Amino acid sequence: MTETLYTMIRNRAHRAVRRAPLAEIAHEYAHLGLSPIERMTRRFEMLCREEIPVILDAGEKILFVRTVPNLPDIFTEEEWAERHRDHFIHENGYVSNLSPDYATVIAKGLDAVRAETDCPETRRAIDALCNLSDRYRDYARENGREDAAAVLDVVPHYPARTFREALQFLRILHFGIWLEGSYHNTLGRFDKYMYPYYAHDTENGMTEDEALDLVCDFFLACNKDSDLYTGVQQGDNGQSLVLGGTDADGREVYSDLSRLCLRASEKLNMIDPKINLRVNRNTPLSVYEEGSRLTAVGLGFPQYSNDDVVIPGLEKLGYAHEDAADYAVAACWEYIIPRVGADIANIGALNFPGVVDTALHHSLKNAETFDEFMADVRRAIGEACDAIIASVDRADVLFTPHPLLNILFGCDISKGAKYNNFGIHGTGVAIAADSLAVLRDHVFGDKTISKEAILAACDNDFMGQEELLAFVRSECPKMGQDNDSVDEIACDLLHTFSLALRGKTNCRGGIWRAGTGSAMFYLWHADALGASPDGRRRGEPFGTNYSPALHTRTDGPISLIRSFTKPDLTETVNGGPLTLEFHASVFRDPDNIPKLANLVRYFVSRGGHQLQLNTVSKETLLDAQAHPENYPHLIVRIWGWSAYFVELDKPYQDHVIARQEYSL
Amino acid sequence: MFNVTQSVTGTIFDVKEFTVHDGPGVRTTVFFKGCPLTCIWCHNPEGMDTAPTLMVRNTQCTGCGLCCRPCTHADCRPFGRCLHICPKGLVKVAGRAVGAGELVTKLSAGAELYGAGGGGVTLSGGEPLLQPEFARAVARGLHENGIHTALQTSGFAKADTFASVLDTVDYVLFDLKLAHEDDHRRYTGVSCVPIHKNLAHLRESGKPFVLRIPLIPGITDTDENLTALSALAGDDPVELMPYNPYAGAKYPTVGKVFRYELPEETEERSPETLAKLFRRARVLR
Ligand code: SF4
Ligand code: SF4
Repeated sequence: MTETLYTMIRNRAHRAVRRAPLAEIAHEYAHLGLSPIERMTRRFEMLCREEIPVILDAGEKILFVRTVPNLPDIFTEEEWAERHRDHFIHENGYVSNLSPDYATVIAKGLDAVRAETDCPETRRAIDALCNLSDRYRDYARENGREDAAAVLDVVPHYPARTFREALQFLRILHFGIWLEGSYHNTLGRFDKYMYPYYAHDTENGMTEDEALDLVCDFFLACNKDSDLYTGVQQGDNGQSLVLGGTDADGREVYSDLSRLCLRASEKLNMIDPKINLRVNRNTPLSVYEEGSRLTAVGLGFPQYSNDDVVIPGLEKLGYAHEDAADYAVAACWEYIIPRVGADIANIGALNFPGVVDTALHHSLKNAETFDEFMADVRRAIGEACDAIIASVDRADVLFTPHPLLNILFGCDISKGAKYNNFGIHGTGVAIAADSLAVLRDHVFGDKTISKEAILAACDNDFMGQEELLAFVRSECPKMGQDNDSVDEIACDLLHTFSLALRGKTNCRGGIWRAGTGSAMFYLWHADALGASPDGRRRGEPFGTNYSPALHTRTDGPISLIRSFTKPDLTETVNGGPLTLEFHASVFRDPDNIPKLANLVRYFVSRGGHQLQLNTVSKETLLDAQAHPENYPHLIVRIWGWSAYFVELDKPYQDHVIARQEYSL
Repeated sequence: MFNVTQSVTGTIFDVKEFTVHDGPGVRTTVFFKGCPLTCIWCHNPEGMDTAPTLMVRNTQCTGCGLCCRPCTHADCRPFGRCLHICPKGLVKVAGRAVGAGELVTKLSAGAELYGAGGGGVTLSGGEPLLQPEFARAVARGLHENGIHTALQTSGFAKADTFASVLDTVDYVLFDLKLAHEDDHRRYTGVSCVPIHKNLAHLRESGKPFVLRIPLIPGITDTDENLTALSALAGDDPVELMPYNPYAGAKYPTVGKVFRYELPEETEERSPETLAKLFRRARVLR
């Protein structure tokens, strides 16, 4: 990776190579009465033709950069409306959020894959991609880049032999599936499937610096087109990869290559790819230290996943051991199995505070004891889960076909794969637990708050009830303070959630998975809800993912970790991390790296499933909000991904700033 | 067996976990209320008085006036403000009584973590030596639970008080501020003579310790003072603590005025030049 290329990508100067947007095509496709697969294939062929080979810099080793800025939709609005009427359309209807099997294709070469397939559209898609690649090769050769041309002589037609060829092949495939219109499909267990090529080259004299340089080049490539990738906010683009963990036989995957990846990410200091680190009880402290050095950079990753919780959790849900052991992390945090998983991990979300609100309005009046009321809350959780299931299962789930993407799954992935499970997030569990603790202790317990008073307060947003508000909000115990009396309610809620889904099947023959994530629901759910008995005012968002209420004040990360590792998290392996916020000053001293490493290991040893660590200072954020022009590179973690702070909408910015409260 | 730690009560104003500048490893720091010194740069003004201190985090105050209305709560009476009404939870009292046993139990929750990383608990403040019996009880209780305990102190206490608490802890972070008596009195309000005496005792005790020097531009961070402190420190390990520009942030919340003003022309010394002034120093960042 050369300095000029790095600077160019960082300053977004490479975007100058982009052409004008392509015109709409859906009406013509509709007019011709083309089938969905024909449309996907035609569009892909057209896009590959329209792409122009570009080499951004004489030192650019991993080629392929988008010049076409948009993918014209294949269906007209009316056609989409029709599809929505007759089917369940997940998100925007294209396949997303899975973990493709790049390794098999990289080892075979596209010519062999083409020969094996009996799907004519897949052959056309492969031909289109190979054609584009051949044009890149010729362009490189004409421009004196024999090194790059020689790589493209081999890949993607033939199996990759070297580390560079494998990386270039991966780049082409990843570029290709985005261009085909699928999105948020991750890079998977990069250090596992790239290791053979890395080891081959290392044995043949590749130095550590050369290897690092190639990894940097590849990582940098992930930042070239990322603004074109769909998401709720800039940065939400699903380019995550997983390092470490074990294989099916329990062997450690973490290697020198994993270490290089962490270093490359540290060196690049850019938001892609997002790094997930799989750890377990045998992971040495040195690995956490390497991870912590990356945390100190302030990118908001690595995000940690605990094999000791996730693997047994997935097995409980029916995943075979070898599949569970191979788990990767989808775009944000959802656990997904490479190749065999067609799970839709984010199909809905249970709103825990919403459930409490329902019970509050329906059964508080008549409940004589807290246990009675809690039974109603559990029932309401069951009903809410059933409602989510019914809303999805009212029709079949329909995706557009993806002839190219299919080769990375060895099947028609739009129809599903070995695992077709649906995941449901669980938002605001801390707020629900805090609220229930107030009801238990003061409405049913010492009766200092009457049922009418708490109901009225929630309905009127505590107007004129300031003393009650101050009491429940600031003086009652909260999840995150390592207080068993609150935390046990959270345990109950999460357990109930997982039980409510147990044994239920979905329309694709899969099962339902419970999670602790929130995605954008932490804002959406909160918006739709009045005040909560814990003193959360109307309109105040929940904490993101698996985190305390925003107004919770704790003594620090030890209490937080202890609170949030009490539930049996093997039951909520749809994923959803606890987020710890650290003031940037903590990491100015390299002596503090081992301290952070110990803290993360503590989280893992206590049975946490997933952990995110953020480093930003509130002063910086406020200043960035006031002077965005001074902070083009300031990175924060939003829910499952990192983003440039100044590119976020104000409510998201405000939320990040508010989150800082409990870190100070 | 009767456990002395159960029966002693003290006053603290904060507990902070994962304090990275308060001794080795992962630590939790407990802040004892009250300090005999009045350093003008002190960044914990709520910890200075022994009596509970009203704190209003007024940067976020909407001026609704609710907390100024008369109320009937007994605990609000001394402060002339209602502590139980602010919708944003901005009105608080720094300083709460806590039993040593209860505190030890709470602090011991992280024992497994502390043990793994060579960390533990730090007694800080304010000045822990103002509550020697409580400090001893807490340190002994922690010790019984196998937790490494550090004392962070100004060193300003009677010799026997210092010695008795020193006996119960594993490590000491001993502050040195100003080498000259006049300056010391002027900026911290007390004499440095007892401090130097206690330092001598600390050295003789054989307990591991570190000397900590706050770098306050224009006051402690002068060539003259640092050279003198360096002579005092000799071969002992030193940690230099750069000035925190947010040091004055909490003064308005306790109704006090931050009297320290950063000199306009502060020469930035690099950590290397600073460290060179001492035989064994490192600069905390
Ligand atoms: S000795 Fe420490 S706590 Fe006491 S006034 Fe000085 S700086 Fe503040
Ligand atoms: S109640 Fe709170 S917001 Fe209102 S005036 Fe008092 S401190 Fe300010």
